[in-house]
Formats: sequence, C-alpha cells, structure tokens
Amino acid sequence: MDFPSSLPPSLFMTGPLGSSDVPDLSFMCSWRDALTLPESPPQNCKIAAPNSATALLWEPSMPGPLPLLPPCPDPWDPGVTAQDLLFRGGFHYRRQPQVVLDVTEQLSRFLWDHGDIAFAPLGKMMLENFKLEGGRNRSKKMTVVSAKKLLQDLGGHQPWGCPWAYLSHRLRRFSIVGGPVLGKSVSHLLGRLLHEELATRWEQLLLDEAFTGGALAWLPGRTSQVGQLVYPAGGALDRLCFQEVSLPSGGDPQVLGDPGCIQLQGPVRQVVTSTVQGETLLAVRSDYHCAVWKVGKQRRPATLQVLRVEKGATGISLSPHLPGELAVCSRSGAVCLWTPQNGLQQVYKDPETLVFRDPSSWRWADFTAHPRVLTVGDRTGVKMVDTQGPPGCGLLLFRAGAEASCQKGERVLLTQYLRQSDPESLPPTLHLVCTQFSLYLVDERLPLVPMLKWNHGLPSPALLAHLLPPAHPGSPQPLFLGGLGGQVQLLHITGKEPSAPRLAGPPQSLPSSADSLSAFPLLEPKSQKQLQERLEAPTIGLASAFPPCASTPAVWLFQLSAAGDIFYQRLTLQAASSFHRDEEPPSDPGPDSPAPSVPPMDPRPTPSWTSQATACCSRWLEALLQVPPAAPVWAAPTFSHRRLLGRLEPREVEGKVLQGLRAAMAGGQLLQQRDLGLLPSAEPPPAPEPGPQDELSERLEEAWAGQGTAWCKRQQGKISISEPGKQAKRPKRRSQLSSTFSSLTSCLDLPETSSSPHSLERTTSEARLQPPVTPYSQESARQTPQDNMVELPLPKDTPTSRHVATPPSQASSVQAMPSQRSTPGSWPQRKRPRMGF
Amino acid sequence: MSDFSEELARPGSEDGQVETSVVSGTGMHFPWLWKHLDTVATRGKKKKDFAQTTGACLSLIQEALLKQRWQQAAEYMHSYLQTLEDSDSNKKQMAPEIIWKLGSEILFYHPKSSVKTFSAFADQMKNVGVLNYLKISLQHALYLIHHGMLEDAHRNLSQAETWRYGEKSSSQETLINLVQAYKGLLEYYSWSKKKMELSQCDKDDYAYSTEARNTFRHSWKTSVNFSSLIKTPGVWDPFVKSYVEMLEFHGDRDGARKVLTNYAYDKKFPSNPNAHIYLYSFLKRVRAPRAELLRALQILYQIVPSHKLMLEFHTLLRRSDREEHRKLGLGVLFGLLDFAGCTKNITAWKYLASYLRQILMQNHLGWVQEEWKSRRNWWPTFHFSYFWAKSDWKEDKDLAYEKAFVAGMLLGKGTASRCEMTNPYGLICISLKFGAV
Repeated sequence: MDFPSSLPPSLFMTGPLGSSDVPDLSFMCSWRDALTLPESPPQNCKIAAPNSATALLWEPSMPGPLPLLPPCPDPWDPGVTAQDLLFRGGFHYRRQPQVVLDVTEQLSRFLWDHGDIAFAPLGKMMLENFKLEGGRNRSKKMTVVSAKKLLQDLGGHQPWGCPWAYLSHRLRRFSIVGGPVLGKSVSHLLGRLLHEELATRWEQLLLDEAFTGGALAWLPGRTSQVGQLVYPAGGALDRLCFQEVSLPSGGDPQVLGDPGCIQLQGPVRQVVTSTVQGETLLAVRSDYHCAVWKVGKQRRPATLQVLRVEKGATGISLSPHLPGELAVCSRSGAVCLWTPQNGLQQVYKDPETLVFRDPSSWRWADFTAHPRVLTVGDRTGVKMVDTQGPPGCGLLLFRAGAEASCQKGERVLLTQYLRQSDPESLPPTLHLVCTQFSLYLVDERLPLVPMLKWNHGLPSPALLAHLLPPAHPGSPQPLFLGGLGGQVQLLHITGKEPSAPRLAGPPQSLPSSADSLSAFPLLEPKSQKQLQERLEAPTIGLASAFPPCASTPAVWLFQLSAAGDIFYQRLTLQAASSFHRDEEPPSDPGPDSPAPSVPPMDPRPTPSWTSQATACCSRWLEALLQVPPAAPVWAAPTFSHRRLLGRLEPREVEGKVLQGLRAAMAGGQLLQQRDLGLLPSAEPPPAPEPGPQDELSERLEEAWAGQGTAWCKRQQGKISISEPGKQAKRPKRRSQLSSTFSSLTSCLDLPETSSSPHSLERTTSEARLQPPVTPYSQESARQTPQDNMVELPLPKDTPTSRHVATPPSQASSVQAMPSQRSTPGSWPQRKRPRMGF
Repeated sequence: MSDFSEELARPGSEDGQVETSVVSGTGMHFPWLWKHLDTVATRGKKKKDFAQTTGACLSLIQEALLKQRWQQAAEYMHSYLQTLEDSDSNKKQMAPEIIWKLGSEILFYHPKSSVKTFSAFADQMKNVGVLNYLKISLQHALYLIHHGMLEDAHRNLSQAETWRYGEKSSSQETLINLVQAYKGLLEYYSWSKKKMELSQCDKDDYAYSTEARNTFRHSWKTSVNFSSLIKTPGVWDPFVKSYVEMLEFHGDRDGARKVLTNYAYDKKFPSNPNAHIYLYSFLKRVRAPRAELLRALQILYQIVPSHKLMLEFHTLLRRSDREEHRKLGLGVLFGLLDFAGCTKNITAWKYLASYLRQILMQNHLGWVQEEWKSRRNWWPTFHFSYFWAKSDWKEDKDLAYEKAFVAGMLLGKGTASRCEMTNPYGLICISLKFGAV
C-alpha cells in the first residue's frame, strides 16, 4: 500500500483536552480542506477549478423522508423529558446554569402515586400502634392512636402541597411524632434510590449510548435492485424482521411480501451485516446477549451462536476479512474475539479507560486493515491491540487530547473502521472517530494525528455512520453521519492512495423525518401532537442501498426510528451545477454587503411533495391513528380508606356518586357530572375542562354575590367525583418513571402468572438456544417460555404457514401485555394490608 | 441556537460552558444540553432579544450552508454582522472568529463571489478583533495560493510576518513560524521555477552564472524561513521536502541529513512514515551504505509494514550476507501480505514464492515454520479459501499461480480428493503441474 506522499501541515502537541493554546490550524472551515498545497510548483497560474468540489451534491428527491412500512401497531411513548427530571423553579439564564434534578417533586409524586408501596411496610410495622376498629381507645397506651379519628380529621381531603391547609391538633401531633420515623425511613431509602434512578435517566436522556452503531442494516440481494432490510420491530424492539425491498431505478421502493420475523427476548440495540468471501453474516446485539446468523443463498438466516454477556454488551462488529469472526465488548472492559467455531478469545481487558479516568463503561471494538489487530475504544480514546501479542499492549490510535486539538469535555461517541473493498476508493486503513463536536478520520499508519477533522455541529449525539463506495470510480465517497435526533449529514470524502483524505466539498445536511410533517394533512391538536412525536422519535438506525447500475447515481437512505418506523429517502447525484465564477464580473466588494442586491437566485428548485407521497403519508397516518395510545404502565390505585372503616358512614353525596360511578363502570359509559344529578340543571354547561383559573373566577363570582359557602359545598361534592378521574389521567411519564419501582414490590405481590397464555410454538428444534434470562422487562420475561428465544422465519414458499406460525404468538404476547398491567379497576380487588395514607 | 456558539467556544474560554458534572460526574460536555434546558426554563430571566435574534440568525446561516444555499446564507450573514455589537464581552470576543468562519465559507462557495470580494472581506476581518490577524492572514494566503495568485499571497504573508500584538505568546510564535514557513514555501516555488528555467539555459552563458548566484542566495534566505517551524513538533511534510531539496542544491548535505534525521527520529514528533520515507530516499540519493539504508527501512517496517517500500526492503535483506537479515526478509514479506490492502499484490506473492523456494533449498525450514506458526490459523481462510481460489483464477491467473505455489508449500499440495479440506489452491497446483508438463 502506498502512503500519502505529502501530508497537510499540522501541529502536534501532547497534553490534555483543551489545555493548550495551540492555534487550531484547521479553523474548521470546510473550504480549508479544498486548499491542497500544490505538490510541485504550479506551472500555470490558474490551478484546477476551485469549484469542482461544489458540483458535488446529493439532492433529495423529496423535502423529507417517507414512511416505508405501515406504522408499528404497538403504541409508542416518547419517555421522560427534561421537564420531568429537572428542577423547574428559579432557573436563571446564568452563565453557568446548574442542572438540578428535581428529586423532591418526583419523591412527592411517588409518595402520592405509590403510597401503598412507600408506606405499607411501615404501616405493617406500626400496626400495633394504630387502632383501626372500635370507638374509644381503652388501652390507655400513649403509643396507640385511633386511626378513625385521624381519618375523620382528614375528612377525605388530603392537603397535598398546600401549606395553608387546615390541620387538626391530632394530625399535627401525629405528624410531629411520626414525622421522624416516616421521614427518615421513606425519604432516606427512597430518596437515594430515586436520585440514582433520576441521574441514570437524565444521563440516558443526554446520551443514549445503547443504539451506538445503529439497529438497521441492508442486506444486498442477488440483483442490485433487491435487498433486505433487517431491523427490530414491535413496541419493545424485540422482534428481528427481515423485509425484502425492491428498489426500482426511478420509482418508490416496493416492499415485497411480509417480513420474516425472529422473536428475541430482549430489545435489539445493534444490527451489523458483513459479506466476506461471498458469505453474509448478520450479528445482533441486545443488552445482555449477542447473536450471529448466517444468511444463506435463499436469504434465510440460520442461527450460528448466541452469546450471553453477563455485564452487558456495548458493541459488536463483524470482521471484514475473515468470515465468521466477530469482536464483542462488554461493560466490564473486556474485548473478545468471537468465532462461532472456536468460541471466545479475550483480547483485551481493562476496567479503566484508556487515556484518562472517565466513569463511562461504554466500550467499542472494531477491526483494522490487519485481520489480527483490533481497535478498542472508550470515551477517552481508541487503541490498536494485537490479538496475538502480549495482552494489554498496543498503540493509541486516537487520544482525546491536544493531539487532535479536542475541546474540554470532548468524548468519543463512536469509532468505526472504514472498510474498503474497492481499490479505487480510500485506503483501507482509515478509522472514523466521532465526538459530540467533531468527526475525525485517523489513519492507522499514522496514529494520533487526525488526517481530517470536521466540526459537524450536530445537535444530538452522532452515533450512526455509514460510508458508501464512490458513485463513479475516482469520485468522492459519501459518508453519512447520523445523529440520534434524526439529523443526517453527508460528507464527501476523497483521497485515493497517494493523497491524504480530505473533504471534497461542503458537507450537506439531509432532511430528517421531522421535516416530513408538512406532507401529512393537518390534524386536530391531539393527533397532530401524536404524529409529531412519532416523527420526532430518535433515529436508532441508518442504512443505505446503492444500486450501482443506475444511469444517474442514486442512493437510498433508510432511517429507523425508536418508534419502530422506517423512513426512506432517495438522493440523486446532481450533475455539475454550472458555476460561472470566472466569467461573472466581480460583485460588489465589501464585507458588510456580501449579499449583492440581485434577486435571490437558487440554482436548484426546492423539491416538493408529489401527490403519491402525500397519499402515502395519509395512508400511513390513518394506520397510525388507529394505534391505541400507550397504556399507562402503572396507574395510581383508587381505593378508598372508607371501605376499611366500616363504621365511618359515607356521606350522602358520596353514596350517590359511588352508585353512579359503579353504574357507569358496569355499563362502560362516560360518567358526567349531570348523570349524578349533582348540579342544578339551570347552571350553564361548564367549559370542556374547567381549569383551576375557571374555578377561581367562578368562586370569586359566587363570593361576590354572597353565595360563597354554597359554592364551597357544591365544590366539595365535585371534588369527590372528579378525584378518581384525575388520578387516572395523571401524566403517564411520571408513572412510567416510577414503574421502575414496581420492581421493588415484585417480591410483595406477583400477579398470577398462570393465567397468561403460553402459546409460543417452536418452529424448529435447531432454533432452540440457551435459555437467556433477559432482564428487559418483567412482563415479557413472564410471558415467554424461556427456552424459546428464537423463532426462525419459515421458508418463503409457504407464506401461509408462516402467517399461521408466528402471528398468534406475537398477537398473544401483544395482547397479554395490557392484561398483565394493572388497570385502576383491578387494584381494589387485591387485598393487602395497608395503611390508608 | 446558543448551543452552536457554545460549540464554537474556543478551548480557552470556558465561561460559557455548562457544568453538568453536578449530575453525571463525568465532565463530559453536551452541546445539546441547552436544548433540554430551554424546555425547562419556564421562569427566570430570559435571554435578551438581541441574543435571541443573533442566535436564530446564526442557526439559519448554518442551515443554509449545510443546504448549500449560498445566496440565502449571504443574506442572513448581512444581518448577522450585528453580533459584533453584542454587549456580552465573551460573545463579542468570539464574534469575529464566527463571522470569519461563516463568511469565508460563504464567499468561497458563492457563485458570484470573486477573489477580490474575498480579499476585501479578509482584509477587513483581520482588523476586527486583533487576535485573529495571523490566522486570517494565513488562511487568506492559502486562498490566494489556491487561486494561483502567488505574488499576492507572498505579500500577504510578508505583512503578517512582521505583525506583533502585546506580549509574544507561544501560540503567536507558532503562528508566525507557520506564516514564515508558508512564505518560504512560496519562495521555494519561485526558486524551483527559476531552477527549471535555468536548467534549460546554456551553461556557459554569462547570464547563467549571475542567475545561478541569485538563485543560490535566494535559497539560502528561504531556508531560514523553514528552520524555525520544523523544530516545532508536527507534520511538516511539504516544508521539509522543499527545505531538503534547497539544502541539497546548496550542497549542504549534512544540513539536509540533519533536518531529515531530526524530523524522523525526534521523539516529540509523531511517528510520521513520510519522515522515514524522505530519509530513506535521501540516503538512497546520496548513495549511503547499505547498513544505513537498512536501518532507515527497518524503522519504517516497524511503523508501516504494509508500505510498498517493504518490497525494496525485502530485496535489500535478501541480498545481505547476514543470516538474520535474510531471515527478516521472510518476515517482511509475510508481514506485508498480512494486510487487507496487499492481498492482491502479485509482486509480493512472486517474491514470497521464489524466496520460499530459496529458503527451503538452503534448509531453513525453521524460519518458515516460525513465521507460519502465528498465521497458521487464519491465513488459510484469509488467503487460500475456496472463494479466493475461484475468484483469483477468474480474475488474475498469474496471481492464482503464485498463490497456489505458496499455498502448496505452506499447506501441502494436496491431492484432488484432499484439496477440498486443506488447500483449495491444490487444484491450481495440479493444473500448474500439468501446465509445466
């Protein structure tokens, strides 16, 4: 191999991140890369046309990506946001804003929603100190309190968060006496756990490293027009699908038949494919498992091996040199070379990070141009490790430090070996390193000195990258860089053997799925929000197909969203747009008027939606709106302490309310206030959902008219009705967050599992694998029999049998979910000793 | 919005950076943190309108640039210049750099911009905020070089060279050295042009000798420009190359050797393969003894065993009298063929085939076994698989023959029945035999 005969000048300084005042020579302009120093003294005055690079443009044919498949039938919930986690009050635009986790609110929410969990054990312990039944307290013990009195004082009204609420003497005494006990045990234990959980969630929100590398892959088929998309589907992303897609040169991609599916026991985080010596392998990484399939001639995957990673797998990659070799890395800091025939060979193990101490346990491994040398990466750098050499030694390929003029706080997010099969392309020694700020290309023959640096400026973590072969022999290679937020940048990289790699033109940004919103018809706000949330779901996979035989080079880019949707867009290489730089008269000089007052001339018309595209979107939307909203993972129980205390006679109004409620529940009807006959019919119908402001103004009005007390009485009745409804409507995010706590109670009460349907058939006995126990979710673990991890798709020639074979199990598993989850109504039936707080 | 300017924050200015270590304890910086915080900040002091508009404008410019809409970007840029008036001193300090970065990008690609426009912009930007003078001068000069205006670039660099501001900092020093080096490079261009003209002249001419003297002096002057920069650790390939060429012309071989040796062996420099390649080619030019050539190549072999010079290294070693050299010669070939980019290098295979034959005839089976030991478990699938046997046979018969020969020696020739299991190249071996017959 040839080495670039002359590298661009660059300074080399050693030191920590952002430490030196080394002038950053590159200055991060894309045009600087276009300035190559002439090798020999320029003979003629004019060097090659400077704008040859500008002609490079991959133009999307639509303003945004379009959905390829109908929406995933499982509901999707965007999860927690910063609003749920961070302290909202008193945030100032200071120079150094502090991020403060709002533990207090979450804790009070938790105590409010899950009082039974928080207080039941304590209640049990203190049972002898309370007198539940009976009238007067005859024991004369100072340590026994009558619960009845306390509850009477509370009067069914719990003044949560209201410091001015009326408290009786008894209550006050109780809270003073019981406070230290209650406060300490609950808040100390829970607070710590909750803080830990919130910090994890917040870190995950800032950087969700699970999908590093991407969970979407393209398997080229027998002809260049046909291929298979491999992606996870289902609400839990635990079903690996193989969808055949044909890419006609001009039209939209066509989905051929139904996808073949393999049911796994954990969410799929990364999908990698590689074809070496005509043999195509497919590797999948889940949280605690890795698996490898061999894709045969009939495009049928056959399982080779499944690997369980005790500490959690963080990366998997397939060798581009030797068929059936993989590199796997785990959170323990170990990197292994894995061959299904010979098993695992530990190559490297170090729980510490490479360059400086970083708490992240994320590790990554990939191959290099030498089949026996691997790269091992973590947040602080990348090292080349010889698998045959003595353990632990190796050369640093990239160091987050002054060598690459890294900024303070810069960390490695992704490293990738840019494998090359074509001799007409970039040298096969290049590695891509992405940080939150920049992209680096490093040549393994010259470690530590990046050959190319580009400040990508993506507003989300760049965890996906994909290099394509050149469109024409000798032309630049497109490199897609995808952020988790859906942004995709396209870089043109050139540099065949004798020259150093560089950008061959300004990078381009491609439309993200959020840009497709305009293709959908306008909806009512709720549905619009649902659609928007769905389109803005994080991108967790990026794949591209490059049918080489087309007359105008075109690239299909597929994006997988966290909601399980696949979007596609087609990019065509624009013919050299004419830039008549030399013929144009020089325009108005002067820096403050760089924009001459000519009418805006854009050489390219902006692409617009075709009627086909909007029709496709409408169809997709229709299917989406039929998807039921995400069921709350947990809802607050709506039990009444009054059932506990038989002697407390319910008030008249409440009796009516309860009756009405029961009747409505039995009939499955909507309960409205007028059904209970509480409101005088003369009163005008209230606004759809009277907020607190309306209540206030109403009250003020009444008070002004001297009817304040009457209003209050009326209002009390209303509250007692609307309470259950309000609880059910409580934001699901928080309840989902607190669902993690249900694991705490699982020892207390496990729902009966015998009722859940076990109907997963075993299609092939070879497919049976080791029983992996995936702690993904308790529900799914309970549902699926443990030894049924993989179901292979049946042969293509029996599509009907496949239909029969897989869907029932999936349908049952899907339908089994809600029944497992406790609905508000199902809770009171379960009898548990609990305090009524 | 603000996260972009956040990214542009130079390493030195940490005032604007958000401390997240409170929560994560990692010290990692998230450029998208602001986005999250903005959704949370419902109360408290809002950003000023001015900051909001400039922030929005900045993101619009960025978007236009990434969509390659230069006209639109230029229009936004027009409005963005107001950021120079920012009352926030931190932002005000950063503004010229951002404006230069974006403005130069627009003017470089804008279809209606010209060298004149660009130069006017650069000249104005140099004097907005003193700190960027050298950087902008340097980039401006590069732009001019790229457009073939070498004299203008030279003038520019000469101006920048004499510029000083305040106390001389190390970064200023480095930049001035760089400016000088680029100036030297430009002088080298004109020098080598003259040299070429001179070579076409009649040597006995009077004009020749004066010209030659001038060129001579010129080169001497230029070399000063390079010498200070190439002492700083870095990759200075074009400078070193031209410096050495001028020194050699000047007759200062020792000087050239010193420069190259320093460039190649100084521990503070990155292990740049080119440094060793330059040194080797210099040594070859001056007809250095073979031991020296071998030493230079041996280091290159340790850094880049896949380099094409390794074939030359092999032939040198092969001709050596010392046994360990000849042994290394085998290792060099094996090492070269280990790399994915070299698998189809027919010369290497040819060398390996003939050398294996020679070695085995000299009864050095141990050498081969030693090399083969670490490759036994992967070379067969990497080089001698069925797939490669088939495709090599289809694409390049010569390569297939060479590989078959090597495979036959390393794996055993294999009979037609056995070849399926051990050596797919066995079939080719057999056909080779028949061909020989």
